[in-house]
Amino acid sequence: MSVLSQLNVIQVSSLTKRVSTLEGSLTILSDINFSVKSGESVAIVGASGSGKSTLLSLLAGLDVASEGDVHLDGEALSTLDEEARARVRAQKIGFVFQSFMLVQSLTALENVMLPAELAGDHDAKDQAIELLDKVGLSHRLEHYPSQLSGGEQQRVAIARAFIGSPKILFADEPSANLDSKNGHLIETLLFDLNKQNGTTLVLVTHDEQLAKKCQRIIHIEGGQLEKISEGAAANVG
Amino acid sequence: MWVKLAFKLFSREFRRGELTIIFSAIALAVLTVFSLSSITERISLNIAQKSSDFIAGDRRLSSNHAFDQQVLTQAKQFGLKTAKMLYFDSMLFANDELVLGSVKATTATYPLRGKVTIKDNLTGLDYEVDSGPKAGNVWLSEGLFYTLNVKVGDTVELGAGNFQVSKVLVKEPDAPFFSLSGNKRVLLSYADIPTTQAVQAGSRVFHRLLFAGNEQQLSDYYGWLKPQLKSNQTWEGIKDRQSPLGNNLDRAERFLLLAGLFGIMLAAVAMAVSAKRYCERQYDPVAMMKTLGGSRKVIRNIFLLHLSLVTSFSIVAGLLIGFILQTLGADYLATFMGTALPQAGIRPWLLSSLIGLVCAMMFSLKPLLDLFDIPPLRVLRRNLGDTLAVSRIHLALSFMTIFVLMWIFSGEIVTTLILFASTLLVIGVLFVISRLLFSAGRKLGLRPGSSWSLAIATLQKRANANAIQLISFALAIKLMLFLVVLKNDIITDWQMQVPQGAPNMFIINISEQEVEPIKQFFTDNNIVHEAFYPVFSGRVDAVNGEEFARRVSKQEGEEKDEDAREGVSREPNLTWLEDLPEGNEITAGQWFTDAGTGGDDIEVSVFEGWQEVLGLELGDTITLLVNEQPIDAKVTSFRKVDWGTLKPNFVMILSPNMAGKVPVTYFSAAKLEDQHTKDISQLLQRHPTISMIDIKSQIEQAQSIIAQVSLAIGFVLSIVLVSGALVLISQVQASLAERMQEVVILRTLGAKSRLIKLATLYEFMLLGAIAGLVAAIVSDIALLVIQQQLFDIAGRLHPYIWLLGPVSGALFVSSIGYFMVANTMRQNTQGLLRKLG
Repeated sequence: MSVLSQLNVIQVSSLTKRVSTLEGSLTILSDINFSVKSGESVAIVGASGSGKSTLLSLLAGLDVASEGDVHLDGEALSTLDEEARARVRAQKIGFVFQSFMLVQSLTALENVMLPAELAGDHDAKDQAIELLDKVGLSHRLEHYPSQLSGGEQQRVAIARAFIGSPKILFADEPSANLDSKNGHLIETLLFDLNKQNGTTLVLVTHDEQLAKKCQRIIHIEGGQLEKISEGAAANVG
Repeated sequence: MWVKLAFKLFSREFRRGELTIIFSAIALAVLTVFSLSSITERISLNIAQKSSDFIAGDRRLSSNHAFDQQVLTQAKQFGLKTAKMLYFDSMLFANDELVLGSVKATTATYPLRGKVTIKDNLTGLDYEVDSGPKAGNVWLSEGLFYTLNVKVGDTVELGAGNFQVSKVLVKEPDAPFFSLSGNKRVLLSYADIPTTQAVQAGSRVFHRLLFAGNEQQLSDYYGWLKPQLKSNQTWEGIKDRQSPLGNNLDRAERFLLLAGLFGIMLAAVAMAVSAKRYCERQYDPVAMMKTLGGSRKVIRNIFLLHLSLVTSFSIVAGLLIGFILQTLGADYLATFMGTALPQAGIRPWLLSSLIGLVCAMMFSLKPLLDLFDIPPLRVLRRNLGDTLAVSRIHLALSFMTIFVLMWIFSGEIVTTLILFASTLLVIGVLFVISRLLFSAGRKLGLRPGSSWSLAIATLQKRANANAIQLISFALAIKLMLFLVVLKNDIITDWQMQVPQGAPNMFIINISEQEVEPIKQFFTDNNIVHEAFYPVFSGRVDAVNGEEFARRVSKQEGEEKDEDAREGVSREPNLTWLEDLPEGNEITAGQWFTDAGTGGDDIEVSVFEGWQEVLGLELGDTITLLVNEQPIDAKVTSFRKVDWGTLKPNFVMILSPNMAGKVPVTYFSAAKLEDQHTKDISQLLQRHPTISMIDIKSQIEQAQSIIAQVSLAIGFVLSIVLVSGALVLISQVQASLAERMQEVVILRTLGAKSRLIKLATLYEFMLLGAIAGLVAAIVSDIALLVIQQQLFDIAGRLHPYIWLLGPVSGALFVSSIGYFMVANTMRQNTQGLLRKLG
């Protein structure tokens, strides 16, 4: 393994995704190549239907590529089965979704503890409380998702994403479902926590302003990598 | 460890109500099976006990030869109670009057089941006792008091002994329905037989042993007895008797079985729907868990534990509710029947738990497998894994499970197959109909924005889901309609067997000279009576000149053989008639021709049950021995006889040209009211040789059993109806949850509550009406088949349910739908949005 690949926590090479439709095969992503360094923040931007969410699903091992590969912290995802990919996610990845994706039957605290519990770690309560405190929800520990506002639910999701100190954090349109005030709050929280934890952040968004907060911006257009540009945070830390 | 997480998730899901439907469905299956099977078992036990009264024991062994002592000794060793009986005819003498009486001598244990009804004197009141007369006493039937001119306390000579007449014998539990042995009955203590010296070697006597015990003891004993049964010995239980009661019991049991099967089907539909719905609601959490790194194994363990827990809880709850329900039901029935029902055994507990377990496992299997396969990618693509259509494997598994459940419950493969195949057919037809209806609806150009167009648009949009919903609505309505109609038909049929105005007294031993005076007497006293039939006894001696070798089956439960055996081994009562009697139907050949009625050749019409046993064919010549005089008769027809009617039936009817060839007595039946009692005493005094058999008490007994069984059927039916209603409610509820999103969208877009409520009302009304109509049509067709095949009732159509089905379906389904949507409407849009989130 080269020094370069050790620094690159995500290495994408010749990544292609095709799906079968009634009209025949449809190429959603074609020959994508890029890498992300450890601790870097990268935004994937593009219009609706450009393939950015598909790219995120392949990066996180939620789906498998038709061709090419993704190396995640040195592990080639194409060589792993679903169980092994789940294990990689459990050990190295945190997620924040547009629709929060909280388990409705668990409280805020339990939702945050869920990834740790699934990994067999039952001593994550202190860490979960600390994380909820950091996102300003220490007074809402025992509330269920239906008792929380959208902004609060997304803060719980962010706390959940950081439990177990993942190496990489994938965020899919984290503020798209929120009003601008709450959206900004969430974005700030996400970047602050990311910086504090030294996590690599991969953010999917169609919001150019949000993308600019990242160090690099990967532009996807019609399933192809159009360009990679530097964001406003490129020279920061 | 995943266990802690699993328990936490389970308790939360339970509290949130996510598991309520699946819990209710399993509990419903368990409680339906438990309450039905235990009520059925308790009623069957009670009816069997009551029915045992009719033979004064649970089983009886009869022969015209004495039994080996070992037969009794062994029965006692098997724990059975026994009683001995001996029938013989003997002369009675008192006050210079001599008469031939039918004597029944019984041991002290007689009757083992039922009671003997007696009176202290002719004008006294009836009461019941547990045993026959003590040694030295005799009880005489009323007729003998008149013919011998005696009163209670007098002495009569019976054979060589003198006995004190101590009671008036009103009724023995085992008095036959249509015995023509007369009412000159004498009940004697078994110990007094030697005193009478009436039983000598070669005397014509009839021995009978009675047995009572539980089914296991009886079956064990029969296992021992069977290999040594002799050809002149008959073993029988109540069901072996061809009597109205036996037929009715059979029908009642079939109905209860059918009701139970339908209950299981309904519960299974509820379970299949709810298991699928529950698993679908878990798609998002599972996708999330997988995304967060949860392994398939951990997720599988969590949900299998959930299934185990919900199954255990629901089985316990089902048993508990079922137990309470059946206890209340049994108490209710007991007050009506005036007798406590015997306790059911362990079978209902085991059966219902097993059915709950099989239900839970089999109906959850495929939905759970689908759940485990949910891709983590669903967190990004929300509709991934959603399939409107039910998978073929789930369908196949569900059908297989329903079949297995029905089979386990009924233990009857043929009934299960008939019901299962017809249900499959119904589903197939319904699916095609529903698709056609929903696609036809597209062509209806309705004004946009109206409640009707919204209702029809919703129906079309969910064509697949609606087809499934329609099928389950229709199935539930079909099963309910089916049972209601069948219950009415069975009860009507029973009531017709004992119509108002049916004769309640048989008059026998009427000599030819007495026919006209008695007819005149009836007319003078306004007594309704039937025709006077000539009656004589004869024995089948030969067929086509070959002496008939008696074939005897020793198999228990071979009803035809059992009945026939009794018939063949005894001298049946024969008659000649010009016209085919009511309730008889020619199955082969034809009724007497002119030659038969006028010529020299005698013809005979034979009951089809005897055709098999005697190996008869049309054209055969039977030789009958009548008073040792051989009479040849040519078989010209076979007849089906409705033994279910309380009317005299004959196994052989000869052509009218028999008249004058043998000495006969006449037989008639009359309907006597209370005011005729005095007239009848006069008649008996005027014609002391005739005998009257009061079948009033038998009719009352039959009516009481019919009433009891009808009540039981009504109770069981109400349990099935509740199950059916619950299925409909759970179906509406399940579909309503899916509709919430649309309600929110419509509300957000500014649709008025009234529009949405009316649209839902119309949509459910249409669904309910279509389901009800199809259910009615299919029920009626299925009823035609089932009534003829299983219940032996003439099948007929029931046009009223063609209206009742759609109307009740539309009303029921739409009112539940409307109520639930109206409930949803009370919440504000933001609240609904949150719930969906």
